[in-house]
Amino acid sequence: MQDDDLTIGHLQELRRGTVVLACLVRLRTADYGYALLESLNARGITVDANTLYPLLRRLEKQGLLTSEWNTDESRPRKFYRTSPAGEALAAELTADWRRLDDALTRLTTGDES
Amino acid sequence: MTASLTDRYVWAAARSVPEAQRPEFQRELRERIGDAIDAHIARGAAAADAEHAALVELGDPWQLAARYVDRPLHLIGPRYFAAWWRLVKLLLVILVPLSAVGVLLGQVLSGAPIGEIIAEPITVALSVAVHVGFWTTLVFAIAERSATAMPVATWTPEQLPQVRDDARAGRLGDLIGSVVFLAIFAGAIVWQQAGAIFVDGERLPIPVLDPDLWSFWIPYFLVLLALEVAFAVVIYLRGWTWTMAGVNVLLNAAFTVPAVWLFLSGRLLAPEFLDAISWPWPSGGPVVVILTFVFVGIAVWDIIDGFRKAAANRSMPVASVVG
Repeated sequence: MQDDDLTIGHLQELRRGTVVLACLVRLRTADYGYALLESLNARGITVDANTLYPLLRRLEKQGLLTSEWNTDESRPRKFYRTSPAGEALAAELTADWRRLDDALTRLTTGDES
Repeated sequence: MTASLTDRYVWAAARSVPEAQRPEFQRELRERIGDAIDAHIARGAAAADAEHAALVELGDPWQLAARYVDRPLHLIGPRYFAAWWRLVKLLLVILVPLSAVGVLLGQVLSGAPIGEIIAEPITVALSVAVHVGFWTTLVFAIAERSATAMPVATWTPEQLPQVRDDARAGRLGDLIGSVVFLAIFAGAIVWQQAGAIFVDGERLPIPVLDPDLWSFWIPYFLVLLALEVAFAVVIYLRGWTWTMAGVNVLLNAAFTVPAVWLFLSGRLLAPEFLDAISWPWPSGGPVVVILTFVFVGIAVWDIIDGFRKAAANRSMPVASVVG
């Protein structure tokens, strides 16, 4: 059991930064909190509501997302969209992700070149 | 109509959010709760159960609000913890003994009863420790929550402590014991001058030691006690050696020989004191013999102990740090 906890802890740590990147990429088309949560989890990016909602708020505060209230339906919903600054950060994070992936691949295959 | 669970939850969470952010926060939270309830209903839950389950998932509203507005959920975080811990330790080490000794001195000088002399410094030391802990923590907890960062001294390699000599750490107990005993002994010698006999709670001006001794012998003994303190500090720093054991013999002899000689020749205790406790000096016979044996016994035991420790020290490898 302890091994399982250990694995879960390390997996969470590994995934932490990827949630930000996933949000920035996914929100190129505007969406609201719950729909984003569902679509990320459906695509295999595991994220908890208690993490995602405060994260959206923080990214908006940092100017990486813009938001707009949609009142067309019975329940008003806040739609988030990636801002130009968010787009730039997403590009940078993606490049770094690829670099890390390459480096890890070289490590596992033992190719020193 | 009574407020729904959702209304109560939103109100409880919004309470701890700064007023400027509150309307937006409440709106966002309602959206989130509404969507979570819908999700539960879609999975086949009854409306009331769905609301309850959704709020359980959200957890403690105060904690949720703290996460939304980035408020720390700890008293002192990693930024200040090291500085806080060092400061608390430093203040405790300085202030607690200082206040205890200060109060002890004040009590002795004002001629307080022995019970108060012991109890008062302990009470004061405890309350100083609690105050130091509380106020330091309060200041750091406020700094943790303030927008502007408090300047904290950056760590440099020069602050590294010397590698501790474990044998010395083991001798610290001996040092504290010796110094406390010697301080109490010296305090008692001064204190008894104003009278050591209490009748119905009233202090009679009868000293234990013959006041004539103040011309030479009492100052002599007090100086010896001071030398003993210095000796204890040197032992703490350097450890026992054969030389130190030899010095210990001299110190013990310098104290015990005159004390026993004064005692046996009837010049140590004040005549008024002997009268007051109705001790028919010098025909005290067995008591005098027993007291003399106790005096000499303590000195001899202390001398033997010194040599024993010097011998034990000899057989152990000397702890040294190459640097």
